Amino acid sequence: MTIKKLNGNVPEGAIHEKWEKHKFNMKLVNPANKRKFNVIVVGTGLAGASAAASLAELGYNVQSFCIQDSPRRAHSIAAQGGINAAKNYPNDGDSPWRLFYDTVKGGDYRAREANVYRLAEVANNIIDQCVAQGVPFARDYGGYLSNRSFGGAQVSRTFYARGQTGQQLLLGAYSAMMKEVNKGKIKLYARREMLDLVLVNNKARGIITRNVVTGEIERYAADAVLLCTGGYGNVYFLSTNAMASNCSAAWRAHKRGAYFANPCYTQIHPTCIPVHGDHQSKLTLMSESLRNDGRVWVPKDKDDKRAPNEIPEDDRDYYLERKYPSFGNLVPRDVASRNAKQAVDDGKGVGPTSVAVYLDFRDAIKRDGKDTIAAKYGNLFDMYERITDDDPYQVPMRIYPAVHYTMGGLWVDYNLQSNIPGLFVLGEANFSDHGANRLGASALMQGLADGYFVAPYTLGNYFVTDKPEQEKVTIDSPEFEKAHKESREKLDKLLSINGSKTTDDFHRELGQIMWEYVGMARNEEGLKKGISEIKALREQFWKDLKVTGDNNNINTELEKANRVADFLELGELMARDALERRESCGGHFRDESQTEENEALRDDENFSHVAAWEFQGVDAEPLRHIEELQFENVALTQRSYK
Amino acid sequence: MRSFKQIMTSSIVKKQVMGVTGLLLCGFLITHLAGNCLIYLGPDVFNTYAHTLVTNPLLYPAEAVLALLFLSHIALAARLTIENNKARPVKYYMKSPTGRGATFASSTMPYTGIITLVFLILHLLNFKFGTIYTTQVGGVEMRDIYKTVIEHFKSPLNILWYIFAMLSLGIHVSHGFWSAFQSLGFNHPKYNCTLKCVSKLYALLITVGYSALPIYCYFQGVK
Amino acid sequence: MGNNTQSMNISLKVWRQKDRLDKGHMEDYKMDNVSPDMSFLELIDVLNERLVREGKDPIAFDHDCREGICGMCSLMINGQAHGPEALTTTCQLHMRKFKNGDTIVVEPFRARAFPVLKDLMVDRSAFDEIIAAGGYVNVSTGNPQDANALPISKENADLSMDAAACVGCAACVASCKNASAMLFVSAKVSQLALLPQGAVEADERVQSMVEKMDELGFGNCTNERECEASCPKGIDISNIARMNRDFLKSSISAKK
Repeated sequence: MTIKKLNGNVPEGAIHEKWEKHKFNMKLVNPANKRKFNVIVVGTGLAGASAAASLAELGYNVQSFCIQDSPRRAHSIAAQGGINAAKNYPNDGDSPWRLFYDTVKGGDYRAREANVYRLAEVANNIIDQCVAQGVPFARDYGGYLSNRSFGGAQVSRTFYARGQTGQQLLLGAYSAMMKEVNKGKIKLYARREMLDLVLVNNKARGIITRNVVTGEIERYAADAVLLCTGGYGNVYFLSTNAMASNCSAAWRAHKRGAYFANPCYTQIHPTCIPVHGDHQSKLTLMSESLRNDGRVWVPKDKDDKRAPNEIPEDDRDYYLERKYPSFGNLVPRDVASRNAKQAVDDGKGVGPTSVAVYLDFRDAIKRDGKDTIAAKYGNLFDMYERITDDDPYQVPMRIYPAVHYTMGGLWVDYNLQSNIPGLFVLGEANFSDHGANRLGASALMQGLADGYFVAPYTLGNYFVTDKPEQEKVTIDSPEFEKAHKESREKLDKLLSINGSKTTDDFHRELGQIMWEYVGMARNEEGLKKGISEIKALREQFWKDLKVTGDNNNINTELEKANRVADFLELGELMARDALERRESCGGHFRDESQTEENEALRDDENFSHVAAWEFQGVDAEPLRHIEELQFENVALTQRSYK
Repeated sequence: MRSFKQIMTSSIVKKQVMGVTGLLLCGFLITHLAGNCLIYLGPDVFNTYAHTLVTNPLLYPAEAVLALLFLSHIALAARLTIENNKARPVKYYMKSPTGRGATFASSTMPYTGIITLVFLILHLLNFKFGTIYTTQVGGVEMRDIYKTVIEHFKSPLNILWYIFAMLSLGIHVSHGFWSAFQSLGFNHPKYNCTLKCVSKLYALLITVGYSALPIYCYFQGVK
Repeated sequence: MGNNTQSMNISLKVWRQKDRLDKGHMEDYKMDNVSPDMSFLELIDVLNERLVREGKDPIAFDHDCREGICGMCSLMINGQAHGPEALTTTCQLHMRKFKNGDTIVVEPFRARAFPVLKDLMVDRSAFDEIIAAGGYVNVSTGNPQDANALPISKENADLSMDAAACVGCAACVASCKNASAMLFVSAKVSQLALLPQGAVEADERVQSMVEKMDELGFGNCTNERECEASCPKGIDISNIARMNRDFLKSSISAKK
């Protein structure tokens, strides 16, 4: 039980040569042999669908699993704004190097340089690939692709398809995947929830799933397992994640030995529709692209209850423009969120709950005309109006930060392989590319980069080097037997408690603890309190939970309970990680560590590393391993967007 | 490659055949109406027209084509209706139109179609195979179809039924005419409005044009 | 939000069906103190929590993103797919659109191709089968030409995007009196046919997708436009006309 120094297996050489050389050095599987390998891909979002499609095209036999009724529903579909790539079409000085630099800086210097550079390098290919698939990106009158700008960058490098970029990219990846389903290279398993990862001889060799329609617990074996199961933002109960988004697949893998890296890095997105009632089931994001034309402000005076349009220019505080003149409203997400919280904490919040700030399009409409604004953001404005009953063309939007994305995730090396051989983790489910804060339009980029252009290479190398196929594993192996039995017992346990509180009661309570103590700003006292409260809640959960129905049919309560059980364990780890990281960086803000201007203050001497946690038992203290981060190409500076 | 049968039985081609036969029948309705209007010029003109028509050797092939059009339109309609009914075996407890799509005409196509079919059969029985009177025009012996028509429309019930059937036919074609173009792939924002107007004008012409005939005949009969 | 604070009393008539084989029936529920700011699905959430507390089986329904984009939510609400509002999915339908004292009838989407799994949950995998039959461009991951190598007129790119906005919710099928899937299929056919990348295989694509659609037991289109009217994304029937045209053309011009 010693603390390990983890090795990210970053290849040697100059940063711009690493991936090229690594691709050459990696061993290849002969085309005829590829059909002998079986691969399990869990999740069908951007990472999962693109990986499944690309691997099947190469010739591997792919089994693809998703929780929804169709792979096309994965939550990548909800990404609105766009996808970054350094094509430099607008001729504004962009390059892969600048994209790399912006991403490392945006992540507050807590990402692995080599991964980020590779991401910036393959980003251009992604755009080419998507266009070839028929993704209808926005174009200008000459027929060429159009770009918009996004937070954290001073160039226009974001490609978009109206306000539905995630949808269009996902449907592109989904269609690529369905093409392989048609050829029989992908076997699709919809409405399946992963319950456990099965290891044989310490290699990932299969999964246990629950068929949510029949309740049947199923076993699937393969030569490698790819987890593309997204993030864990729903630990906060209210987030912009979909209702079914959960941490269970990653968490069960963690409990089987996979390290969980930087769980405390959560992104609170600055532009969401504020909470309005107890019945609320989720929060809705308004794309960050709105900050291109919308101006964020609050009244200068506390408790100014006038209607927004009655507040004259002089009584408004455009605080982002005032504090950050060079980036203005386009500062990175963590900065924008924290400033909104500060405004509300200072008593300047607006709206009936006073927990919101304005995002105002008055000046943009005056400048460009209503039609231009409608063409850019029409669908977002409609969505806002539908939810709030306010017309954003007439009155400013009210927005407030909400949990949106989790930068932390299972630890992976440069090859996207976790510490368990044969277990690869892609997309939001891994921790790798965004450091402590993700820039807008980078999640789509990472998901597709991992799936289309990284995993298909590195997986082949694993097969040749580790030769998993030489050990015959079937679903009757004792390891499967054991995992199956444990999964079944856990479900039976949940059904048998028969207490008095519903799953949502517990989930809501957990969310409150998390938001209060592990939210936008954290401190030692709060985190310690949070940990003990989560522990107490977990104990109560296993004593007083009520789940109706049985396990032989569709049972949505059982599904939820099974996920919340995992959130109750993960939440504690997040708080622990936040407690141990006694610095502020990106999305992780510790009250104890800030500059005089209330900006996040990093402690590079002590925390320029990845914390990768090893599970030791539900109530045991986990081990905190470390991967040191080396910055050879980007100088660590205090991030400044002034 | 897909066989001819496969293509002909695909849902789209079935609809297109419906559309083409429907449009051709629309053409027939216009020519038939034009011929009928000769009744306004008196019995001799009308009877001569009818006589010329029935003595033309091309009549039989023309009637055969017409019968084929009717039969395929009807048979396909029946088949489509049955298939469509099967496509939703369990019906809704409550189903309300959005008010933004379906019209009265579009949702009653099978019913207006059946009314038209019944009308067609009665129409043939009443006139083509109805009471035969003879007359002489310009020394030629011929059927006095004019008299058959006038006799038939002496009954107000017959008139009412005829007008009802023409109203229903008008409703049928007001959707059918436009719909045929849509099925054949003609839909263009520039011309959609015109096409819908033409569709409605055509329906109006058919209903008013045909309905005027029995009323005229009634007044001819009472004279 | 909070512009309308009067709480409402609502009666619900909900389709309950234990599993695929059960006959099913309508059941009545009374809901008091409904906030007008609630979404329709949040209303069912609240009802479900109450049912669980009472030890009863909660109502199963499909939903996920709750932002109107994943296409997973469905429901016939008062006889209309996604309820009475135009261009709105059920998850984005708010109770303020109903009146205090209303009785609301809630049923699953119905079609032979979409068997009911439980209560309001239906199996729409038929749509995946149609896409698998040809709803893609046959391009493998690799090194395609530069994204800007092939300019596409803004007009076509926009029309293609209009069609691509389909979320695959199947409201078109549910609201069509013939349970026809023409709008869904034509949206994908159109999206790809309008782009040079997809035009290469346009003939084969329209044939295979229509063939699959027919095989799965959807009804025939009778141009009633209820699909278009109930589509939460406003996909219009000019796409169906385009598919009709392309189908006819490809049937006549098939090269082998």
